[in-house]
Amino acid sequence: MVTTEVQPMILLKNVTKIFPGVQALDNVSLDILPGEIHAVLGENGAGKSTLMKILSGIIPKDAGEILLEGKKVHFSSPAEAIEAGVSLVQQELSLIPSLSIAENIFLGRWPVRGLGIDWDKINRDTQELLQRFNIQENPQTPVENLSVAEQQLIEIMKAYSRPTTRVLLLDEPTSALSEEEVERLFGLLAEIKKEGKAIIFISHKLGEALRVADRITVLRDGKKVITVAKEDTSEEDIVFYMTGKRFKRSEPEATGEQAKKEVVLSLRNFSSDEFSAGVNLDVYRGEVLVIFGLIGSGRTTLAQTLFGLRRSKGEFLLERKKVHFSSPAEAIEAGIGYIPEDRRESLVYDLPVFANITLASYQKVARRGILNLDWEYATAQKMIQELQIKTPNIFREVLYLSGGNQQKVLLSRWLVSSPKILIMDEPTRGIDVGSKFEIRNLVKNLAHSGITVIYITSEPLEALEMGDRILVMRNGKVVKAIDNPQETTKSDLLALASGIS
Amino acid sequence: MGAKGTSSADKSSPTTNSSFSIKELLLRGGSLVGLIGLSLVFAVLSPHFFTLSNWLNVFRQVSVVIILASAQTMVIISAGIDLSVGSLLALGGSLAAVAICYWGWSLLAGALLGVLVAGLVGLATGTIVAKGKIPDFIATLGMLGAVRGIALLITGGLPVPSHFTATELTGYLPAGLIWLGSGDIGGFPVSMMIAVGVVILTWFILNRTTFGRSLYAVGGNREAARASGINVDRVKALVYAVSGLYCGLGGLVLVGRMNSANALMAEGMELQTIAAVVIGGTNLFGGKGSVFGTLIGALLMGVLANGLNLLNVQPFWQRVINGLLIIAVVVFDQWRRRVLR
Repeated sequence: MVTTEVQPMILLKNVTKIFPGVQALDNVSLDILPGEIHAVLGENGAGKSTLMKILSGIIPKDAGEILLEGKKVHFSSPAEAIEAGVSLVQQELSLIPSLSIAENIFLGRWPVRGLGIDWDKINRDTQELLQRFNIQENPQTPVENLSVAEQQLIEIMKAYSRPTTRVLLLDEPTSALSEEEVERLFGLLAEIKKEGKAIIFISHKLGEALRVADRITVLRDGKKVITVAKEDTSEEDIVFYMTGKRFKRSEPEATGEQAKKEVVLSLRNFSSDEFSAGVNLDVYRGEVLVIFGLIGSGRTTLAQTLFGLRRSKGEFLLERKKVHFSSPAEAIEAGIGYIPEDRRESLVYDLPVFANITLASYQKVARRGILNLDWEYATAQKMIQELQIKTPNIFREVLYLSGGNQQKVLLSRWLVSSPKILIMDEPTRGIDVGSKFEIRNLVKNLAHSGITVIYITSEPLEALEMGDRILVMRNGKVVKAIDNPQETTKSDLLALASGIS
Repeated sequence: MGAKGTSSADKSSPTTNSSFSIKELLLRGGSLVGLIGLSLVFAVLSPHFFTLSNWLNVFRQVSVVIILASAQTMVIISAGIDLSVGSLLALGGSLAAVAICYWGWSLLAGALLGVLVAGLVGLATGTIVAKGKIPDFIATLGMLGAVRGIALLITGGLPVPSHFTATELTGYLPAGLIWLGSGDIGGFPVSMMIAVGVVILTWFILNRTTFGRSLYAVGGNREAARASGINVDRVKALVYAVSGLYCGLGGLVLVGRMNSANALMAEGMELQTIAAVVIGGTNLFGGKGSVFGTLIGALLMGVLANGLNLLNVQPFWQRVINGLLIIAVVVFDQWRRRVLR
């Protein structure tokens, strides 16, 4: 499989990394060719991120060798890696919001003229870069005014434009992007690839990896399973390599019995300051209501307003009673749960797994202010078994868990406090296929047990698979309520959400 | 760093290396190792150091710091900081002494008054922080000055009891109060027992009550705490109230030890408490920490001062050493965190 004619841009030989209690990388050998896009796939905890961190000098390897264009290298800091030509674009953006596009791209290497900074050159060079990659923005626009997707592109450009860069590492570059934006990103990667630079990227979205990558490497439990050319594999095979199991695609099925049609939540002219038009809507007990919309469509704002995180206007009926929440505590009290899009808004990383699981209920089960630890431990133990949360024990800080397991911790928090209505904002974003399947199945089971789920997503296929009904939002308004998702297609949804009908 | 130490190409099992090493000891033991090490050094250098009476002396000296630092631990875990602890101590102690000496209140009533007023002022500070949405640092910095001023107004700037007033009234501190600060039970200082009791109480609050859990949650991730139904404002207000109560108690002990109240007592003690908390390994940015660490931190500073005294080191040099110790400990702690990741 290793082509002998071309010297690999990067060659890894038996790279090994051990963390306390877990072997993160076990003798991984891998070659990345110049002008190649190489996808690294694997479930949470498979070692993808560890690999990236070692390549970019964030953490040291314990054993093995890394060769960059045939020369042995050892990076003991990100600065050394960058110096040698390996740049990492992280999942969490590292741009400084108040600085301009140009300032961010040239951060840390602002060209000097005389005693000052050569602003003309910075802006000129940035303008060229932006034009080349077809981004219509002014170099002097502050980054905070850009959409998340555009910020991501700027981040990549920042890494790319360093003169030494030969290898670009991308960690989950598409997790926050809509389909259209993903296309744009891939166009940009194809351009960079033409110059003979190598691109390694981690993704959870198999379809994307198969589309854009030349070769794919799958990791499982810290070991390399296989490296294959895109042509020689399929999505099903990759899932098998990643999980060691064969999954069936679940068919859309009607979850709640529509016949009952008991309205549990209803909104009349409901709005917050963010969306001007009032929302009218009825939610039935035990259904999964999907709210589908692109970034900026107001779906998250609606969720936050329902949960008391934002000031609301209009009528909000919960089980036929008028309610008004001025804090999440009141919403929780009334039986509403909320899992935000960004896990970081919801997890207390320094608290152990059990305390995160019971965070929305420890006050309820306590007596006279004294914690009921027996109950908390037992409940947490039960949840990590039921949801198969991978953690050494319930006392481990959540910080040390992988993304999918953190998401499961969050989900169990709300399973434990058993709300009447659970709002989930992009619950499968940025987690691996195995966990994705598990979480979707869990949501369906929840609905069967009578809990109403409001499921927010920007993935049309997920919307079609999960929803008993689908609500499409755009520009802060509900543009369409679809009662029979079976009769809708992916392109219908996208057209409605983007307004190109 | 340490790349050689960890690259022991251990492919057989992915479990942690359980072999004993000095590095491991330093990593796990933290400031306790520092305390023991420092004690050993002083024991070698001075024959007087390792005697029971000297240890009790150390305890007597740090007991007030331990009480206040316990409060500081709770505040810092909630991602706050209380700069007003020294002033609150002065207010509580002075008010109790004035009530007892000049107003003719009983010991119990006067002591309660001092503790409760300190608690109420703490509650006010906390409410300002929570509702006024201003930084903890600023609110308590303001209180540091204001409360000290009130204590001066109450005492008229004079020690209580003072010679001027003592002639007119009975005006002496009751024996019970002096016992709190200087008394013994079976040879052990009462103040030490109070301090140990306060540490245990604080441990209980932090680990066994919903309030304690909320402190960790609010300090670790304020938004997440709010989104889980925790009343963040109430928690913030309450932790300063509790801090105030602790300060009031500390005031009684200190007045008892000094045989007199003084509006200027415990000046600068806020910094000592913060140092003890940080040396004890509590994260200055909240969410993480333990009161036993703080106890060790306070003892470490006490042992250092005591040992340097025994060795006749000039007090000026002691200040220098104390300051450098704090920096060294935090540098060490940063290293520890990096390696443990």
